[in-house]
Amino acid sequence: MSEMIEIIVDDKTYRAEEGSLLIDLLIREEIKVPYFCYHESLGADGNCRMCMVEIAGQKRPQIACDTLVKSGMEVNSKSTKIEKVHTDILELELINHPVDCPTCDQAGECSLQDLYMDYGLHDAKVTIVDKVKHDKKVDLGSNVMLDQERCVLCARCTRFTDKITHTHELGIIGRGDEAKVSTMPGRKLDNPYAMNVVDLCPVGALTSKDFRFHQRVWFLQSAESICHGCAKGCNIYIDHNKMKYQDDVIYRFRPRRNDAVNGFYICDEGRLSYKELETNRLESMLYDGVVVDEHEAIAQYKSLLTQYQGRVSVVIDANLYSEEIEAIVAYAERIGAKVFAPLECYNDPSFADDMLKSAQRAANYGAIVKMGLETNMPSDAGLIINFNHPTHFNAEAEIHFSTHKQESNALLLPMAAFSENSGSLINEVGLEQWCEKAVEKNSPAPTVLSWLEKVEG
Amino acid sequence: MSSNIKVVTRHGNSLKDKLYLPAIYDGVKVTFKHLFDNVTDMNAIDTLEYPEEQPTDITSRYRGLHRLTHRADDTIACVACFMCATACPSNCIFIEAVDREDGVDEKMPKSFFIDTLECVFCGYCVEACPCDAIRMDTGIFSLTGNSREDFVMGKEQLLSHKGAFGEEVSCART
Repeated sequence: MSEMIEIIVDDKTYRAEEGSLLIDLLIREEIKVPYFCYHESLGADGNCRMCMVEIAGQKRPQIACDTLVKSGMEVNSKSTKIEKVHTDILELELINHPVDCPTCDQAGECSLQDLYMDYGLHDAKVTIVDKVKHDKKVDLGSNVMLDQERCVLCARCTRFTDKITHTHELGIIGRGDEAKVSTMPGRKLDNPYAMNVVDLCPVGALTSKDFRFHQRVWFLQSAESICHGCAKGCNIYIDHNKMKYQDDVIYRFRPRRNDAVNGFYICDEGRLSYKELETNRLESMLYDGVVVDEHEAIAQYKSLLTQYQGRVSVVIDANLYSEEIEAIVAYAERIGAKVFAPLECYNDPSFADDMLKSAQRAANYGAIVKMGLETNMPSDAGLIINFNHPTHFNAEAEIHFSTHKQESNALLLPMAAFSENSGSLINEVGLEQWCEKAVEKNSPAPTVLSWLEKVEG
Repeated sequence: MSSNIKVVTRHGNSLKDKLYLPAIYDGVKVTFKHLFDNVTDMNAIDTLEYPEEQPTDITSRYRGLHRLTHRADDTIACVACFMCATACPSNCIFIEAVDREDGVDEKMPKSFFIDTLECVFCGYCVEACPCDAIRMDTGIFSLTGNSREDFVMGKEQLLSHKGAFGEEVSCART
């Protein structure tokens, strides 16, 4: 590790590592600096020229993203001269930018919009008719749509495929007005992390085909959660919204920065896994395929429990929250049942890679291991009480707490999915993380804890 | 800030104001003037015998029932940007967007509903629209129906309303 030195920014002294990037310091200390092309995980590229600052002793303004911190450096990020530089460079970026914010999905979370409000507010010198025209609807593959007119050529997407996924699908071709992002002829964007370019794109050039036109972003509410696709525990935002007279619906998952787990990214499979939470959900209590009310269901539950007294096994899904698992284990103890949490079915080596995907496809895998629960299959059980475990077990009778519909004559009781409840998860390396409750359904399914209260009450 | 403040003296402190009677006399004088006018010339009475008589003083600025405009090529002007729904103080505009396939633009409303029972006719949607796609210049001021559903205007119905003041086509995007 190199030496810590002191530098002065806007007359205040800050400590930074010698040789680190000036823009990192500015971002970390929340000193306002505009930029498009710089990204902490992709490094400096220095092509957008937005992050200009004045450095004492230097004749011209310098870009903060490609300036290394030196001892005694004096930086000025706020002055009329620098404001003018920002405004002029932004105007240059906007010369050929189409005025289609009304149809653009990025509107509301767009760097160009934000920076225009901060630095621009100028009238256009180029009319809409004279703007350079490119393709507006290019399907890059992997659910990514490209609008070449909106692109500011920051090269974040191309650097992502070069430096992060090493798949090199994207490149900038042509020069001057003809420059545009494109794939090689006949090739598509095709890697399991491709949709991250949508988040990376500071403008509306790359949009997600999956989210496209479904909702304007300013209506969305974000909850901090953890992806349930595998045991990696990637941090995500659940973006959801309840439109008037409708139900609370999840529109997308977005990666949430956590340098200890997933950095800035998530895999496409995890990103699209929100769809499972919205489809084929078990909504009513069923017994023998017939809808029953709560009173009947609980009566049936209790009679099954008495009938198989002493021969009851409880099976726990490794996607449940730790608090729920603890409550189930305590409940099993009270009713004298054996507890199983079979892990075999979650193992999928074909899913794993050396980036973010883990072969253990259960979000709370770590908790099951940590608690030391029995991970074999239940054997010789009279009654199995299954808490959302995906495996089908052979038993004389079965009670199934389930988030999703399934073909079964057992007593099926709907329960809340992870997005409708809060709790903690332990990932494969033993890191404990908290998930916020995101969705409040119009008619919410009970959580595991409220089910346990009901059946014991 | 203080330079913008204008101090206004409070009225009503004079003897004439405090007596009240002169003000009451002024009011009664107006009432009796109208009584005299109406009794002497029945045809000049300032009321309309609605609905037999219809108002003739609705101007282009009157906020009547909404309509969705067309472009010059007769396609829908709305691009489903949700600006009107965002600006709407009574949240009575319900839009579902879809990919536009006719090559005119990228996006259009799949469905567009205005619940006119919830609407307060403030005109914010018209102000907010970047495409001049929604207007309230139909001159329609009276709306009747047999059920609540009759007052929920769909896309087709809103497109079928005509502008009452000559400007038929959307003025955006020259």
